Amino acid sequence: MKSAQDGDGSAYVALLKDITPWVRQMLRHRRRFLQPQDIEDLVQDVLLSLHAVRATYDPKRPFLPWLAAIAGNRLADGARRYARRAANEVAVENLPVTFADEGAKMPMDAYGDPEALRHAIEALPPGQRQAVEMLKLRELSLKEAARESGMGVGALKVAVHRGIRALRKALSTNP
Amino acid sequence: MTEKTDTLIQRLAESSAPVRRLRAPWWRTIFWLGIAVPYVALVVYVVSPRSDLIAKMSNSQFVIEQIAALATGIAAAVAAFATTIPGFSRKFLLLPAFTLAVWLGSLGHGCVQDWIRLGPEGLSLRPDWFCFPSIVLVGAVPAIAMAVMVRRGAPLTPHLTAALGGLAAAGLGNFGLRFFHPQDASLMVLVWQFGTVFVLSALAGWAGRYFLSWRALIGGSHRPAVG
Repeated sequence: MKSAQDGDGSAYVALLKDITPWVRQMLRHRRRFLQPQDIEDLVQDVLLSLHAVRATYDPKRPFLPWLAAIAGNRLADGARRYARRAANEVAVENLPVTFADEGAKMPMDAYGDPEALRHAIEALPPGQRQAVEMLKLRELSLKEAARESGMGVGALKVAVHRGIRALRKALSTNP
Repeated sequence: MTEKTDTLIQRLAESSAPVRRLRAPWWRTIFWLGIAVPYVALVVYVVSPRSDLIAKMSNSQFVIEQIAALATGIAAAVAAFATTIPGFSRKFLLLPAFTLAVWLGSLGHGCVQDWIRLGPEGLSLRPDWFCFPSIVLVGAVPAIAMAVMVRRGAPLTPHLTAALGGLAAAGLGNFGLRFFHPQDASLMVLVWQFGTVFVLSALAGWAGRYFLSWRALIGGSHRPAVG
């Protein structure tokens, strides 16, 4: 490692080739459930990390504890990454995309009380009500709604944004 | 897949330019102090030292608190640098813990003394918003130097390293502050000054992962393409 720090490429190759089986073995031993390609990804992570921080190695100190600390840290980092990803993913075997499937028939964004929604829309100021009706209920494009209402596209965007915010507030306070 | 690892090894070897080894944490701390202390002295000089400084230097309470603040800054710096060395000994973390305990203990002792001397009046708390920006000002250059230096190490414990670095800079900032800010009531020092040091260290610790990360260090340049 000392030679590698001094820029000796062939010594560095020899060192990395020597330690790779050890790192692979260590990772395999500590993460028995991982697939071989995941282990290899981690091995590469460890090698890249070692390369990035090779200046931190002190030749007066033993090499293996230094390497083991990097490998252990990258392993823990990988586990944290995996846990974060797993926490934000929902494992679904078959996505319900056909109408034969019950899940696909569920109206996901339907509001539970249409009557309250109708009252809340009626209570909106005229400009916001018109914008919500045209853009959200009739699903017109911004250009079509602008042509029909005589309002500008920017004004429509602002009105619909405020309208939706007002509806959300009204419906959350009057459940 | 092992072929890809072999390719990676070749690429790493090709880009293995000589590197300058990091010195031991003690040496790096001395180097950091070489940057930080002159700056702190300059700020104290520019803001102008408090008028009773000479008298204060013979007050044992003041001297102990200042030594403890300085020792905490130094010990936290040593520990911060040590945490960036793979395989570092956890014993380094005891250093700032010990000096911090002495600092807190001296402030606590001061509070008791104030209580005995002045009664409840000695423990009155007033707003002193001067402390926060002053400690930030005095600790700014030490903090920047610390951030640059710890980034040369390994980001093994980003939050801990950054919190220790923040403690080092803020501790030194508080050490400098007391040379020009005439606030000696122990409870005020404890709440406003030590409180500021604590808040700044916590903020630094929180921000650690943004400037100390493997991702920033490694990037994706060397990894062989998949497939």
